[in-house]
Amino acid sequence: MYFEKVKAEYVDGKRKLIPTGEPDVFYPADDVIIAIGQENRFEWIERDLGIEFDKWDMPVVSPETFASTAPKVFFGGDAALGPKNVITAVAQGHQAAISIDLYCNGLDISDRPAPDTKLFSTKMGIHEWAYDNDVTTDNRFIVPQADKKETLSNRLKEVELGFDLATAFKEAQRCLNCDVQTVFDEYKCIECDACMDICPTNCITFTTNEDDENSLRMKLLVPAINQEQELLVSDTLKTGKVMVKDEDVCLHCGLCAERCPTAAWDMKQFNYNTAKAGHLCYA
Amino acid sequence: MSRVNDFVVRFANVNGTGSASANYLFAKSVFRMGVPVSAKNIFPSNIQGLPTWYEVRVSEKGYLGRKEGIDLMISVNPQSFKKDIASVRSGGYFLYDSTKPLHNEFLREDIHFIGVPLMEICNREFTDPRQKQLFKNIVYVGAVARLLNIDTNIIEGLFAEQFQGKEKLIAPNVKALHLGSDFIKENFSFPLDFYVEARDLVGDSIMIDGNSAAGLGAIYAGATVVSWYPITPSTSLVSSFESYAKKLRKDPLTGKNNFSIVQAEDELAAIGMAIGANWNGARSFTATSGPGLSLMSEFLGLAYYSELPVVLVDVQRSGPSTGMPTRTQQSDFISAAYASHGDTKHVLLIPSTPTECFDMMADAFDYAEKLQTPVIVMSDLDLGMNDHMTPAFKWDDSRKYQRGKVLTAEQLDALPQWGRYRDVDGDGIPYRTLPGTHPTKGSYFTRGSSHDENAAYSEDSPTYVRIMDRLLKKLETAKKMIPAPEVHLGEKKSDVAMLYFGTSMHAAEEALDILKNDGASMDAIRIKSFPFCNEVKEFIENYDRVFVVEQNRDAQMRSLLINELEIDPKKLIKVLNYDGTPITADFILKNVHQHLFQSIN
Amino acid sequence: MTYIKPKFAHPRLPENKLGYTRKEYEGSLSTLCAGCGHDSISAAIVDACFELNIEPHRVAKMSGIGCSSKTPAYFLSNSHGFNSVHGRMPSVTTGANLANRSMIYLGVSGDGDTASIGMGQFTHVIRRNVNMTYIVMNNGCYGLTKGQDSATADYGSISKSGHVNSFEGIDLCGMAIELGATFVAQSFSGDKAQLIPLIKAALSHSGFSLINVVSPCVTFNNNQGSTKSYDYVREHNEALSSIDFVPVREEILTEYDHTKLKVVEMHDGSLIKLNKLSPEWDPQDKLSIMTALHKSHERHEILTGLLYIDSESVELNELINTTNVPLNTLTEKELCPGSEILEQICSDLR
Repeated sequence: MYFEKVKAEYVDGKRKLIPTGEPDVFYPADDVIIAIGQENRFEWIERDLGIEFDKWDMPVVSPETFASTAPKVFFGGDAALGPKNVITAVAQGHQAAISIDLYCNGLDISDRPAPDTKLFSTKMGIHEWAYDNDVTTDNRFIVPQADKKETLSNRLKEVELGFDLATAFKEAQRCLNCDVQTVFDEYKCIECDACMDICPTNCITFTTNEDDENSLRMKLLVPAINQEQELLVSDTLKTGKVMVKDEDVCLHCGLCAERCPTAAWDMKQFNYNTAKAGHLCYA
Repeated sequence: MSRVNDFVVRFANVNGTGSASANYLFAKSVFRMGVPVSAKNIFPSNIQGLPTWYEVRVSEKGYLGRKEGIDLMISVNPQSFKKDIASVRSGGYFLYDSTKPLHNEFLREDIHFIGVPLMEICNREFTDPRQKQLFKNIVYVGAVARLLNIDTNIIEGLFAEQFQGKEKLIAPNVKALHLGSDFIKENFSFPLDFYVEARDLVGDSIMIDGNSAAGLGAIYAGATVVSWYPITPSTSLVSSFESYAKKLRKDPLTGKNNFSIVQAEDELAAIGMAIGANWNGARSFTATSGPGLSLMSEFLGLAYYSELPVVLVDVQRSGPSTGMPTRTQQSDFISAAYASHGDTKHVLLIPSTPTECFDMMADAFDYAEKLQTPVIVMSDLDLGMNDHMTPAFKWDDSRKYQRGKVLTAEQLDALPQWGRYRDVDGDGIPYRTLPGTHPTKGSYFTRGSSHDENAAYSEDSPTYVRIMDRLLKKLETAKKMIPAPEVHLGEKKSDVAMLYFGTSMHAAEEALDILKNDGASMDAIRIKSFPFCNEVKEFIENYDRVFVVEQNRDAQMRSLLINELEIDPKKLIKVLNYDGTPITADFILKNVHQHLFQSIN
Repeated sequence: MTYIKPKFAHPRLPENKLGYTRKEYEGSLSTLCAGCGHDSISAAIVDACFELNIEPHRVAKMSGIGCSSKTPAYFLSNSHGFNSVHGRMPSVTTGANLANRSMIYLGVSGDGDTASIGMGQFTHVIRRNVNMTYIVMNNGCYGLTKGQDSATADYGSISKSGHVNSFEGIDLCGMAIELGATFVAQSFSGDKAQLIPLIKAALSHSGFSLINVVSPCVTFNNNQGSTKSYDYVREHNEALSSIDFVPVREEILTEYDHTKLKVVEMHDGSLIKLNKLSPEWDPQDKLSIMTALHKSHERHEILTGLLYIDSESVELNELINTTNVPLNTLTEKELCPGSEILEQICSDLR
């Protein structure tokens, strides 16, 4: 196969490949695979359609509605706001679909339906929870791979074999339960300290409040030094103390809620349903 | 007919007048003359004023059991005159204080009266009222010595020992002794037709009571913590431990005690402390009697189930309830064997002599620690509180205390895993740890609630059953460890046999001797421990009938034999003495003959 | 899985002088009712032992029967524990203490275990001044048998079922002082700031120390009308002083106001600093505290803090002149007099 020799030049910050004028180079090959470049190029869109392009020669797209400047044209995926992962692409597709639906119904596409979110208690009874709150100390399981001799000699051989069923379940059990949150209701709290005493990571402290957040952080059973993680600080309780929780080390194990006699603590699961076109989300 | 070295003398006194030590002088002087003697103090549950008796049997043949029929009665207690006169055998003698004349109504034609004016002599010779009372006792000892041909030099020697450090008391005592002796010399013919003649029949025997022996045994066994609550007849056991400990257990450098004794607030606390100390690795014991045993039951159950060693001495007295607190019985066997609610069973040791009290007490700690369970030494009032002639105690200096399966820190480190209640060796005995042994290994929670092999709380049925079955297995191991019965076989195997234990031994052996002389020889077995060793069942199976001699009303040992060994009840014939006085050979023989006579007809 | 405690710990848990974190002082997960005051006391024990740098295996945990007596399973899992029989913990502890005087004895009991079935042993363990800390987890009721009134329930206190108590409650602290206890304190399970230094001081005291801790039973005695509920105790808690425990001479005290600050030196040289809130009371004066207790009773107040201390206390082993070496370490060499002496004894008996 022949290759043209080029060099990279930057015009207005944009990279362009300019032929050097040297003779083409020949490479002998058994097979030639033609791959598609992962780059947005819209030379094929006529520039007089009413779609505005920016200085990078990309269409101007609303990050909320995914509408272009032409009313009937919507974008999604890499074509919209540049390369992202597939999950983002799907989400953008949803948003674009909502816009199209609204537009077709003659509605304002900026007046968008909210996603459906719910926070619900997972406490079912003594020791019984609607989520799996076993805190496992297992390390991440290694995905088994096929023998390298085989995979190197046979490119059709899949390298990652995947988990067997039992390991897959175990791996799933390692869930950090980040959708389950400790929710504190100061009006129910009788300040018995049970939650503070039981927390395996000592992340709950009942203490008097401080004007300065850093002072409060240092007063906790174990000082909360990760400034990026906000503290959960309750209103002032009956005895004048506040409940302070350092979310940084919470395991979501639910022991605080288990040992709370008045359900001032609860483990609540956060459910999010993305909005869908045609009010499907309300179905 | 004269009887040398074979008679019974009884002293009738008022409690609290110092008569016991005077009477003991008499018994001891016979012993010093090399003649076997046995003394029984028959006293009331009272400190002052009620009648008390001291009975001495002199026996050339070495029979140390009590004997019925009194040859010589020394009565210095008008309260019991009538009864005392009645108790003298026909042809016997009655020595009384003749200061005041004897009422006619008391007179008996068939006995001899010897009047010694004890009060008159004392009033004449001594001035201090307390001295008058005390020396009255010595005066009659002197009189009796002369009547029975006892060498007063021996008694004087005993004074010298008794009053070491208080030498000025020797002379008035000697004086009193001779006052009595001389009065007889001047007024009566002596000796009587029964008297003492010096022999060499006591070998290296000693005279001691069972409680003192057991207290000394505990000293030798290395007991360090003693907790107790006063109760007759066990009190003197702890007193003995204390007095020996004060002499033998002082730290030579600091003068501090290598022991601790706490008088508890009750029997519950007494056994609680003993269990706590044993849990913490000290050898500890307590002593009590029937009522205390009842109170200790709950704790005994805890020690049994949580597998802690503890040694308890039950010096039995007459029950039920308060019963006759100063009279003997063997009536705690069922309650001791199965003390506490639920399925429990305890190791019992049954001594017959003070020597066995000493030995069994020393062994009891080894058994308790090796088996990790309570061991109860079943003494009784007769054994515990009376002075007995008994073989001298022996101690092997190479003997090491057997502390059982207790893990050290090094052993814990070397073990891949350890469970407090795991039967590793197959003998039913697990390994235990003591508090403070290791910073991170070997700690466990001792509890009376159901637990698994790792001492964790468990209500799991199979686990519970496993642990309960292992406890039975442990008792099987115990059977091979504790003292086997003593079997006496005649030249020719008999059809019927006799079974006895504890303080019935002397009377039973005497009865067996008499049977043998009568040509009705009987094989015999003395039980020394519970649960019964296999030899007991094997023995009983060999005979048509076995007389079971006991000192209780309900045939408790017989019940245990039936219950534990599944022996046909018809085979076990009850011989039961439960009047509170020590059993006699006559009593046994009377019962045996009666049964044999009935079965022939 | 909220019946198992996760093995995770905070990665930056502070260590004490022995290099242990609080984790090394914890026990298994409590099986008491959620919110039980007893659990707070267990946590305070964990904190006190951690802060005092006590080696856990040098502690023996002693208890009787009842909710309170279960708690030793929930703290200091590296310590031996002894869950004995009902009301008899004092005797077992006394025996254990006699066997090895070098260990720390921590007894835990309840109001039933102490003030009813165990009253006899309680009074005698005080009388003997056994070197131990005796914590009463006092909830005024029998939690394990569904909330019957106990002997410490106050007169007129109303149970959850509506029953009004017709008997006077026993004041364990007043009684202990009368009996000659050498360290008596009262506290509330919901006040760790006070409870932890009290436990530390008690553990450092040579002799018997009592801490009567009012500990609400959330299930059976936390209702309106109860005098042992969280709300009632918080409203009626009258602290005598704020307390600070200073381990063996950590801090040299300069001048202080004696009318406000009371400093008590302990047997081992450590100090208890008390910021007195009442000028009439002196923790070393029995009469002042007895008066204060009676007055607080009339005012329906619960007097808390260190009530009384005798820093000259002489504990049991000293009283009976026991050797300083733990008795359980003595061997044949020290204990067995040998055959020669036995022969001598026998010859004296001939």
